[in-house]
Amino acid sequence: MMEKMIFGRYVPVDSVVHRMDPRSKLMVIFLFVCIIFLANNWITYALIAIYTLFMLGLSRIPGRFLYTGLKPILWVVLFTLVLQILFTKEGHVVVSIGSVKIYNEGIKQGIFISLRFFFLILMSSLLTLTTTPIEITDGLETLLHPLKKIHFPVHEMALMMSISLRFIPTLMEETDKIMKAQMARGVEFGSGPYKERMKAVIPLLIPLFVSSFKRAEELAIAMEARGYRGGEGRTKYRQLYWRLADSLQLVALFGLTALLFLLRS
Amino acid sequence: MKKLSVRVVVGIGMLSSIAYILMLLNFPIPPFPNYLLIDFSDIPALIAAIVLSPLAGILVEFFKNVLNYFMTGSPTGVPIGHIANFTAGILFVLPTYYLFRKLKTRKGMTLSLIVGTVIMAVVMSILNYYVILPAYTFFLNTPAMSTPATRKLVVTAILPFNLVKGAIMSGIFMLIFIRLQKWISKQSVIKGI
Repeated sequence: MMEKMIFGRYVPVDSVVHRMDPRSKLMVIFLFVCIIFLANNWITYALIAIYTLFMLGLSRIPGRFLYTGLKPILWVVLFTLVLQILFTKEGHVVVSIGSVKIYNEGIKQGIFISLRFFFLILMSSLLTLTTTPIEITDGLETLLHPLKKIHFPVHEMALMMSISLRFIPTLMEETDKIMKAQMARGVEFGSGPYKERMKAVIPLLIPLFVSSFKRAEELAIAMEARGYRGGEGRTKYRQLYWRLADSLQLVALFGLTALLFLLRS
Repeated sequence: MKKLSVRVVVGIGMLSSIAYILMLLNFPIPPFPNYLLIDFSDIPALIAAIVLSPLAGILVEFFKNVLNYFMTGSPTGVPIGHIANFTAGILFVLPTYYLFRKLKTRKGMTLSLIVGTVIMAVVMSILNYYVILPAYTFFLNTPAMSTPATRKLVVTAILPFNLVKGAIMSGIFMLIFIRLQKWISKQSVIKGI
């Protein structure tokens, strides 16, 4: 439970994709979401499939992690597939069972749309499966750095993000502690009528708010005492390194984009 | 944007993690479909708005959803549910905050919460009808819902759900507010440093 709070869906395996720079991964995902809509025939979909499966293979994520993440979505994918097959009325009839006619365009559309959806989900979960939330935050901070020009507080936003990521486990523990303390006093959290259950939240929330404000105060004082003065000229504890693999990954994706433009109908 | 003080930055981070934790403890309410979930994560945002600044309230809503998206992902790949939650949160927090700033009493808080709930529920229904539900069907690739079906869903599920959600949240917040009123006004006074 606690592990899940800290790392989200991150799967700690050593692989090329895990070691890549979060910046390149974010760029790739963003571009991928845009170019997947270029695919519109068998060849282009095959290319996307090869690319996605290749990336998945490189990431060395065990199949069961992918499966648990995809399980709720598989039903939606199947559902849309069936709907598309039944309700598209273009092309010629392939099978007709009683009054239900299945057209070849319907099958094609259904498969294409489901595949597109499926690959989108796969690639976007690949990011969270191979990158810790704090790495994503660091990556976003450097990627969004140019926004400083229009006075968007990139550094402050990233700092808030890292502070909340850092304190999620601490505050979870605190919540747990307060819950136990209140349970020892006779509060029941999981049972009773709805109204009682809602009211039980109050003796949990009040100490949580007060203590978190105290914590915030202490942290702010500690930061100021150490001379924190914003992002300018600040060195970083977690450094990002752009390696050859990152450049190769981007080049591969640009190649895929070019191929999609050439081969789409 | 005005420069945020260290204390405000840290406070926003802290309240965002509380909001994120509370968002995990969500639950459906029996008569409504089970994708409409209630959670108490708007309460930290409201406290942030009152104690720190309205911008802090917006940021807590924002980080709560970003964290949730990073950690658990979204069934559509594109975070529509998170955007909807963010909008609903802001629509609840900001009207409540601005009205409360005018009224300042306990009764004023009750009135502000009621107004916030109504604004949130009404605007969210309109947004659901025109933007959110069509976006869902688009990204899930299901055929678009017909206009009467959408209207029926909005009127019978989404509008009453948001009203109930707002009412529950207001009730809980009111109970917290009564006990914390002195503490909140003390915190708001020293926020300048």
